[in-house]
Amino acid sequence: MSGFLQIVIGGLSQGGVFAAVALGFSLVYRVTGVVNLSQGAFCVLGAMAMYYFQVVFGWPTPIAAFAAIVSVVAFGLLVGVSTFVPAVSTLPVSSTLVLTAGLLTFLEGVALIVWGNQPYALPPFSGEAPVVFGALRIPTQGLWLAGGTVAMIAALWRLVYRTSLGRALQACAENATAARLMGIDTKRMMLISFGLAAAIGATSGLLVAPITSLQFDSGSFFTTSGFIAVAIGGMGSFAGSVIGGLTLGVAEQLAAYYVSSLFANTLALLLLLAMLLWRPNGLFSSGPARRVDVRSEAPVHRAVIRLPDGRMIGLALALVIGLGVMPLLPLPNGVLPSLAISMILFIAVLGLDVLMGWAGQVSLGQAGFMAIGGYTAAILATTYDWSPLAGVAAGVALALVCALLLSLVTGKLRGHYLALATLTFGLLVDSLTVGLIDLTGGPSGLVGIPSFGVAGFDFDTPASMYWLALALAAIFVVLLEGGMRSKFGRDLQAVRTDQLAAAALGVNVGRVKTTALCISSALASLSGSLYAFNFHFLSPEMVATPRSFEMIAMLVLGGEGTLVGGLFGALALTLLPTLVQGLALYKTMAEGALLVGTFLLLPEGLFGRFVLAIARWGKAGSMAQGKLPT
Amino acid sequence: MTSPALEVLDVSRRFGGLLAVDQVSFTIAQGGLSALIGPNGAGKTTLFNAITNLFPPSAGEVRFLGESLAGLAGDRIARLGLIRTFQSARVFPGMTVLENALAGACLHVRAHPAAQMLRLPGARAEERKLRGKAEALLDLIGLLAFRDSAATDLPMGAQKNLEVVRALMANPRMLLLDEPAAGLNDSETADLAALLTAIRDTGVTIMVVEHNMSLVMGIADQVIVLDAGKLVAVGSPTEIQANRRVIEAYVGAEG
Ligand SMILES: Nc1ncnc2c1ncn2[C@@H]1O[C@H](COP(=O)(O)OP(=O)(O)OP(=O)(O)O)[C@@H](O)[C@H]1O
Ligand SMILES: [Mg+2]
Repeated sequence: MSGFLQIVIGGLSQGGVFAAVALGFSLVYRVTGVVNLSQGAFCVLGAMAMYYFQVVFGWPTPIAAFAAIVSVVAFGLLVGVSTFVPAVSTLPVSSTLVLTAGLLTFLEGVALIVWGNQPYALPPFSGEAPVVFGALRIPTQGLWLAGGTVAMIAALWRLVYRTSLGRALQACAENATAARLMGIDTKRMMLISFGLAAAIGATSGLLVAPITSLQFDSGSFFTTSGFIAVAIGGMGSFAGSVIGGLTLGVAEQLAAYYVSSLFANTLALLLLLAMLLWRPNGLFSSGPARRVDVRSEAPVHRAVIRLPDGRMIGLALALVIGLGVMPLLPLPNGVLPSLAISMILFIAVLGLDVLMGWAGQVSLGQAGFMAIGGYTAAILATTYDWSPLAGVAAGVALALVCALLLSLVTGKLRGHYLALATLTFGLLVDSLTVGLIDLTGGPSGLVGIPSFGVAGFDFDTPASMYWLALALAAIFVVLLEGGMRSKFGRDLQAVRTDQLAAAALGVNVGRVKTTALCISSALASLSGSLYAFNFHFLSPEMVATPRSFEMIAMLVLGGEGTLVGGLFGALALTLLPTLVQGLALYKTMAEGALLVGTFLLLPEGLFGRFVLAIARWGKAGSMAQGKLPT
Repeated sequence: MTSPALEVLDVSRRFGGLLAVDQVSFTIAQGGLSALIGPNGAGKTTLFNAITNLFPPSAGEVRFLGESLAGLAGDRIARLGLIRTFQSARVFPGMTVLENALAGACLHVRAHPAAQMLRLPGARAEERKLRGKAEALLDLIGLLAFRDSAATDLPMGAQKNLEVVRALMANPRMLLLDEPAAGLNDSETADLAALLTAIRDTGVTIMVVEHNMSLVMGIADQVIVLDAGKLVAVGSPTEIQANRRVIEAYVGAEG
């Protein structure tokens, strides 16, 4: 019995952090309508600042804590005012999610540069000796954490319900337009909520750091756990956030103890998927009852990115020939393998473009399908001596089955909940690749994977792998381009921007979404298999959730909805760190910064901008027709 | 005996405490052009939404060509040949004018997606035929010159016209148009009126929400009047013009 209690207490203290992150989510969500995925990174920044003030500078704990919170909030406000607030007012919900995912990557990159990649732990505030109640031993830091969380909830509650600032924040939550008419500066309110959320994050981070050691990328862990907690509790509900966080913490600890620590996550994630299926709005769905509206999102203006028909063939040929001769050129060391990797990743990004760029369905779990393809093909080829081709086919088939199952959950979900479900799927696959040690080799990975080969020919050099991926990518681009320029592409685009209007014309929205998901998972699975054959090795982190974010960055950088664009994103993010050696450390930060910057400054992406320029140039001759009717 | 195109039977729609449509019944014969009029907030759009199950009726039933629409999803209703437009033009952003028009034909593409991906001759011929039809319709409404512009670059009135073209591309058996003339000037409105009568003459049943009385009285063969969610009158344009309750509803609303 006391063992059980001991576990529950451990779970509650872990859950306290999840609850705090969830509180930050809920606060920002209520004021801005956006789930800020960068929330978890502020926990790490808080712990990091605390480490410097307390351990390095030797300041007394209270002063160090205060200084850490203040500096994180100041930094948060800077990030908020330059990226989050301008983005929230102009981008549709799905894009804001991707943007905050970019912020998360950026902040992790900053932490990596400042802190390096080793874990850090802070000294407990009041010594190592636990408080003893009979048979129970409670670490004092757990009490600090519990007390801190309760104090934050109380302060937040007071602020929101008892002050005029709180009333203004609430007014934004209920109806931003009305709030603006009442003279409330809604942008300022957004910024304030972002800053408050940073404060909550920093505080919980420095409270938990003595219990759990943190490293630069712990932010993703906090973000995903907090996201799951709000999903359990109900997005926007403060009480729900706390209950959701504590539930998640306890459930994970119990699962770790009674089932297996390797599968603690798996169970929590399955719980969440079931929850999304059963009650997508959470247990305590709350927030103001908004007017049910015919349109689910504000209309977005998007540039039409089309190459003029006549120029297509020429450009495509030039591109394929140009890329084809690359391996024959004298390239600097390491460039050819990077080219092969970019091309393999591009196949997955191509699928992501069909799903995100064309059908408008955010997916934060694309790497999960890469993992399915990679592990299936690799395991079949190594342990069971299947031919690589059969392994690839089996991987694609398994990915399609998973995609169909996932679409049962995601079919009805939109915006945040869709993103959450795909993220959950990705994390679920992550936890399985780590947990199923007998099958996957666990965290240390799978070794001895053969080269890819068909009909006696082995693709065992970077050049042959590159050519193989290039040929496959070219075929897929040609096929997809044909599909996108006909009914299927039009249906996808209609679903992307206006599902109700699409349905009113007879488009079977659910089927279109499922088809897009199937195409993207099949391509991701294929890419994952090639990836494994290319490296002769596969470990969970090669195809884990950060890879999903990286592929989104590649897609956005290259240009959503352009098919070919992703190639340039993949090349940029893979080649640059190879070419400029010193850059490797800055890769994570640069990825996040590029994603955020592209969203704000170049929404059509590199290739999209190029196409627009060509289209404009092509039109210059025939401008006579150009005036619009009035 | 052929069944009527549309039968609305005691349909109500409630939003919380508000009864936006209150026990409305009427029928529309096949091949007719009916106008639905009423002051702002009368429940006209809500009635359209109830018919197409966007906001399903809280009570009552809608039949289309004799078949009940209860519980049918939007795309199933479109499949039956009942196509609607929206009061605020909802062209698809990110697509050209021509692509928007073609999007309307999604139910009539026979070629398999694989054939389209492989650009097989049959698929390309079909695509060319649809394109020709779309261009002819765009020409009719004066939008052909802008076929390659972004649809959202068009002014509001032109976007609403494009939405009508998109609906026509679906080969509807009945069209529900929500204020298609909003944002058009007098001569454009006259063009639209000519187009609507021409469509009607091809055998398509039309029901149109419209505020412009001279347009309504000129083209409709049946007028349905709604006020505060309730059916006020149904009749021919001349009957409606002479109806005291209709005049009161309008004077009451505008005075
Ligand atoms: N989704 C909704 N939620 C709540 N109330 C609604 C909703 N849609 C319409 N209403 C209410 O129903 C009533 C009827 O509105 P409706 O839009 O159908 O009127 P209308 O006749 O189309 O007016 P207009 O001429 O302005 O277009 C109005 O009071 C409106 O506020
Ligand atoms: Mg209306």
